Amino acid sequence: MKCVILAAGEGNRMHPLTYTRPKVMLPIAGKPILEWNLLNARAAGLKEFIFIVSYRSEMVREYFGNGKPWNVKIRYVNQGKPMGTAHAIGTVEPFVSDFLVLCGDTIFGSNDIKQLTKKGNTIGLIKIDNPTEYGIVELKGKQVVKISEKMERPSCNVVNAGMYHFNKKIFDCIRKTEKSPRGEFEITDSINMLIDKEPMEAMFLKEWRDVVYPWHLLDANEEILKKMHRKILGTVEKNAVVNGMVVVGKDTIIRSGTYIEGPVVIGNNSRIGPNCYIRPSTTIGNFCHVGNACEVKNSIIMDHSNVPHLNYVGDSIIGQYCNLGAGTTVANLRLDKRNITVTLNGKKIETKRKKLGAIIGDNVQTGINATINIGSMIGNNVFIGPAGFVKGEVVSQAKIL
Amino acid sequence: MCGIIGYVGFRDARTVLIESLKRLDYRGYDSAGVAIIDKKLKTYKDRGEIAKIEKQIPPLKGTTGVGHTRWATHGTVTKENAHPHLSCDKKIAIVHNGIIENFNTLKEELKKKGHTFLSETDSEVIAHLIDDVYKGNLEEALIATTKKIKGSYAIVAVSQDEPGKIVGVRKESPLVIGVGDSENFLASDITAFLRYTNRVMFLNDGDLCVITANTISISDKHQKHIIKKEELITWDIKDSEKSGFPHFMLKEIYDQPETVHHVLRGRISEIEETITFPEQVEKLLKTDITSIHIVACGTSFYAGLVGKYLIEQLTNISVFTELASEYRYFGTRNENSLVIAITQSGETADTLAALREAQLSGCRTLVVTNVIGSTATRIADGYILQQSGPEIGVAATKTFTSQIIVLFLIALKLSLIQKKLGSNELYNYIVQLKALPRYVRDILQRSNEIITIAKQLKDAQTVFFIGRGINYPLSLEGALKLKEISYIHAEGFAAGELKHGPFALLTEETPVVAIVTQDETYEKILANIGEIKARGSKVIAIAEDKDTETEKHADFVLRFPAGSHVLPCIPITVVLQLLAYHVAHLRKCPIDKPRNLAKSVTVE
Amino acid sequence: MRPMIKKAVVLAAGEGKRLRPFTETMPKVMLPVANKPLLEYVFDAVKKNGITEIIVVVGYKKEVIMEYFKDYKNVKITYVTQDRQLGTAHALLQAKKHIKDPFLVLAGDNIIDPGSIARLIKDQAEYSLLIKEHPHTSKYGVVFVENRNISRIVEKPKEDVGKYISTGIYKLPSTVFTDIERCYLQGVHALSSVIQILVDTGKHINTLLAKSWMDIVYPWDLIAVNEAMIQTTNESTSGTIEKGVTIKGPVYIGKHTKVYAGCYIVGPVVIGDSCEIGPHACIFPSTSIGNNTVVHPFSEIRNSVIMDDVHIASAASISHSIIGKGCTIRDSFSTIPGKTTIEIENEFKKLERPIGAMVGEDCIIESHVVVDPGKIIGRKCRIGPMKHIIKNIPSESKVI
Repeated sequence: MKCVILAAGEGNRMHPLTYTRPKVMLPIAGKPILEWNLLNARAAGLKEFIFIVSYRSEMVREYFGNGKPWNVKIRYVNQGKPMGTAHAIGTVEPFVSDFLVLCGDTIFGSNDIKQLTKKGNTIGLIKIDNPTEYGIVELKGKQVVKISEKMERPSCNVVNAGMYHFNKKIFDCIRKTEKSPRGEFEITDSINMLIDKEPMEAMFLKEWRDVVYPWHLLDANEEILKKMHRKILGTVEKNAVVNGMVVVGKDTIIRSGTYIEGPVVIGNNSRIGPNCYIRPSTTIGNFCHVGNACEVKNSIIMDHSNVPHLNYVGDSIIGQYCNLGAGTTVANLRLDKRNITVTLNGKKIETKRKKLGAIIGDNVQTGINATINIGSMIGNNVFIGPAGFVKGEVVSQAKIL
Repeated sequence: MCGIIGYVGFRDARTVLIESLKRLDYRGYDSAGVAIIDKKLKTYKDRGEIAKIEKQIPPLKGTTGVGHTRWATHGTVTKENAHPHLSCDKKIAIVHNGIIENFNTLKEELKKKGHTFLSETDSEVIAHLIDDVYKGNLEEALIATTKKIKGSYAIVAVSQDEPGKIVGVRKESPLVIGVGDSENFLASDITAFLRYTNRVMFLNDGDLCVITANTISISDKHQKHIIKKEELITWDIKDSEKSGFPHFMLKEIYDQPETVHHVLRGRISEIEETITFPEQVEKLLKTDITSIHIVACGTSFYAGLVGKYLIEQLTNISVFTELASEYRYFGTRNENSLVIAITQSGETADTLAALREAQLSGCRTLVVTNVIGSTATRIADGYILQQSGPEIGVAATKTFTSQIIVLFLIALKLSLIQKKLGSNELYNYIVQLKALPRYVRDILQRSNEIITIAKQLKDAQTVFFIGRGINYPLSLEGALKLKEISYIHAEGFAAGELKHGPFALLTEETPVVAIVTQDETYEKILANIGEIKARGSKVIAIAEDKDTETEKHADFVLRFPAGSHVLPCIPITVVLQLLAYHVAHLRKCPIDKPRNLAKSVTVE
Repeated sequence: MRPMIKKAVVLAAGEGKRLRPFTETMPKVMLPVANKPLLEYVFDAVKKNGITEIIVVVGYKKEVIMEYFKDYKNVKITYVTQDRQLGTAHALLQAKKHIKDPFLVLAGDNIIDPGSIARLIKDQAEYSLLIKEHPHTSKYGVVFVENRNISRIVEKPKEDVGKYISTGIYKLPSTVFTDIERCYLQGVHALSSVIQILVDTGKHINTLLAKSWMDIVYPWDLIAVNEAMIQTTNESTSGTIEKGVTIKGPVYIGKHTKVYAGCYIVGPVVIGDSCEIGPHACIFPSTSIGNNTVVHPFSEIRNSVIMDDVHIASAASISHSIIGKGCTIRDSFSTIPGKTTIEIENEFKKLERPIGAMVGEDCIIESHVVVDPGKIIGRKCRIGPMKHIIKNIPSESKVI
């Protein structure tokens, strides 16, 4: 049985992090989301994968190759112009007969995947508190009756989890599917068509982690870090304190005076310390540098980025190849302690978080003593001059002098 | 010029080939065809556009195939002359873009061997030559074939006995590999497969490639196996679409308000009263320059002629504009010359040769180009990007106006460096430069007037264009545009030269387009118009809005906004472009696919 | 329930004579509000409701529209031309060959909220119209309603009768084209008249109340609508922001724009692309500044619409004003906002909101010019230094 993973989406709501990478390549606990799904599917016994790619497909291909490092086989299919989930799944018809489909940007558990392999035509479902962003699924017993689109006032809270088991019959329905109001070919429409002829079973998932906005990555990061196990491969100098669930990668050095409170994951070839404080639940990538007098808390720092001197980074996500000048600090808490609202793609979004630092894209450079206010969304290649003050949404290539 | 496509992969070849051919048909559309291996090799071709032939092609199940859209060069437009061409047993199909110069000799030889020919084309010999030596290995047969043919070619071949494989070779005609996942493409240009993949491998002359769904194998002209780098194309597929315009050329003319703005962006500041180029270029311009040589080809050469006037007006540097292909033969050069090469693609062979020549002589070199990372940018000491976006219409439009503006900025910068330009003057120039997009937009809204005048020209056999001073190179460009796309013979002259010969050609049937600007050339050009009218020719003047004198002399007047004191050549050029476009449109010429002319959006 | 309406016809052929001088070079639908043409708001509203093809009926200065909307966000745009302005029904008729199913018809120059469009689409009736309560109905199509159906619709009654006006936004079946053709042959050119005829023959035209609908009739309406729509714009920072710039509230700064040190910008403010602002310029709420515009040091702009390619020199004080494209305004220019009475179309209107100056395209205004409240300066005017403008200036005039 083959496992098809949808990895073509840009993930507009993940800006600025997805300007240069597809959503599925966003890292959580040191691994891209897609890799978590790969590993979980592999644990469920699946060995052959098809990744449906499009946006920035080269990033997916470069990272996963043909799947050999994971002992699996990966084939890529380029969806071309993204025209919806049905269109995407339709492209793999020549390669599959009985197959699973996973939405690559949601993390599924291996037990659920295993259960799904044992069934016939099935759709994975999940009950959630706030179903307005998802398609509602109506059931009759264990059979699916209808999948509806997002509604403002959902009739129930059972939603489509984004995991399916199909056989070749779905392709006929895909061929007959028409464009939805938003101009795409949706697999949910194909499924509604299929249900008229074939029964579609429902399976409630036990594990499901969806990430829609950048700060959700912090929640996912926290959840996954909790389940990991301590592993120190790099060098930990004397007088460095490394407590709790901490992973230190190969050729990484933790210098004296560093105080790490797990759960924390640090990648390979990174230099940490001396004299810095890394608090839960932080993930630091490969080739990173967190230096003297820095504090990093509940953040994700991607590869090749530096938090090198006298910085505070809390509840933030920093992209690749960033460099924070000495003294650059990120604010992560409102003085009046209210929930934080951010501006994303020009629109105001309630994060429902009391603490949120900055979401920073790739290749952002800050000068000394730059100040980054709560909930800042900073695009790629932004230059923030010495003592620059940043707030709100800053579009890529901008300069705040 | 033709468009060719080959596909091997997992998708329905019929759909892929038809979609790709639709993107390629700007290269030729008088006939089209596809050949797909669906157990057997099945070929469908006919006269007409691919969009029309599409309905005739039955739903085939193959995933390997080749396709072609044709602009006839040898042989008339018939179903038999359309590609793909087949071997006698109809098991081998080829598509070809280019000209086989010795096809007659080869055809005779093959006929003697018993081959039957169904068409009048040169391309058909390729299919038979391959068939003649075919022993089950398509690439070997193709290599042997290339040794026999002379001319230019981009060929893609398939064989029924080797399904799942396509083979291609190029010499002087463009051919590029689209690298996909579980599928691969071979096409005349990137836009053919851009919706399926944005990874490409460029083939050089003499390269041969063997492509299957999962493998790409390339060997050079010495049959040595080579590994090519995959390049990522970052174009938006929208850049290569016509967006609702009937022709790319019209879209690109309408792009000009934006492209004119883009050239200036980041380079001029009204508040700071500065002109800024990249550091490398600033360094070059600040060196001691005694002379400037501008080298270019075609429309870029005309931009260079305009540049000469601009730079000489604002500085005391002597400027020589030379055809790149002639540069190697004459002209003094020394270390105090700055050579400015203008090449939209950055790959024009003659211009590159001139650049290398200049460097060898010790000159400093600067390139004005539209393509970042092109060969020219890598050779020269510095480069300035036009920032015009890809130009797909064969006739250069937006790249010409952008080049002129870059040259003007260089002129201003040099003038500042030489301290010949006061700060207040620069401020005025900057403000007026910023107003240019509006003047262009203004012209675009005058289509109706231009169409009325175009009707006057559409039946002419010859049209003359005249101008004085900076308008002289514009007259050359106006004539070139008209020639290129409407096939009317047209010539541009310096107005003062008419009396030294060309007057003999003037009759009542030869309309003259005269460019009139209210500067030091004004009186003389009006006098010229008088002289022309005396010979009975119709005069169409291009004059400023506020000009009330010209209409007394000319038969028709096309206007451009008077406010554009700085670079009136930009709105005037847009008038000339639209005039050529509408004349061609009235004559029902294939505007984006002018006969015998090639433009490639690949690096060529 | 999948809405079945896939197409909308947008009428954008009109000139908008009452909006001169701004409509001398662009059709009314292209007037910018919060840096987006009115037409774009209409497109957005229908796109949000699942419309996949918009047929735009163009006419007056159509190139301006076609150049701006080369293509639009995955929605197919088809242009049909109404060569001569022969009424709204005639305009709609131009779209006939593109419509085979029920469709929407909207005016391109009115801003409507997407929710009202959604309700119009969902409405079960075959014919539906969105209506709005309005205190001064005399300039509009007045709708009299009985049992939620139209009983009478009267164009521009010359007096403020009735309570509701037509927004001109209909849902219609494709059979309406036959009715329009028939009526046209009988000399009926306005869509509202065709509707009246349908009502008279017994057809039920359902009415729905629109939630938020804005029309621009006179130039000063642009200020009010700008203020309303600027609340909805995106907020983001781009370009180069020098040190010492204070930005408060929702401010949109476009690409490649440079904001020099000392500027004080209080949102909601929209600044376009490639502008240069400052140093020490002050931009106050509900101001829209177009693209390529330069504001020199120490100028203050408040509650105004500044279009593209404008140059505003130092120490200008611009409030509740409209500055058209391409104007060059030299230093110390002052507008005086006030709730003045304006003479228009032989009537005197007392304005409810303050209004400053309204300056048409391509004017050159020299130093130290002062403009009285509500004065309209036409296109391409030249105003000499130290002039006090106390009455309207017609286009292409000189005041020296």
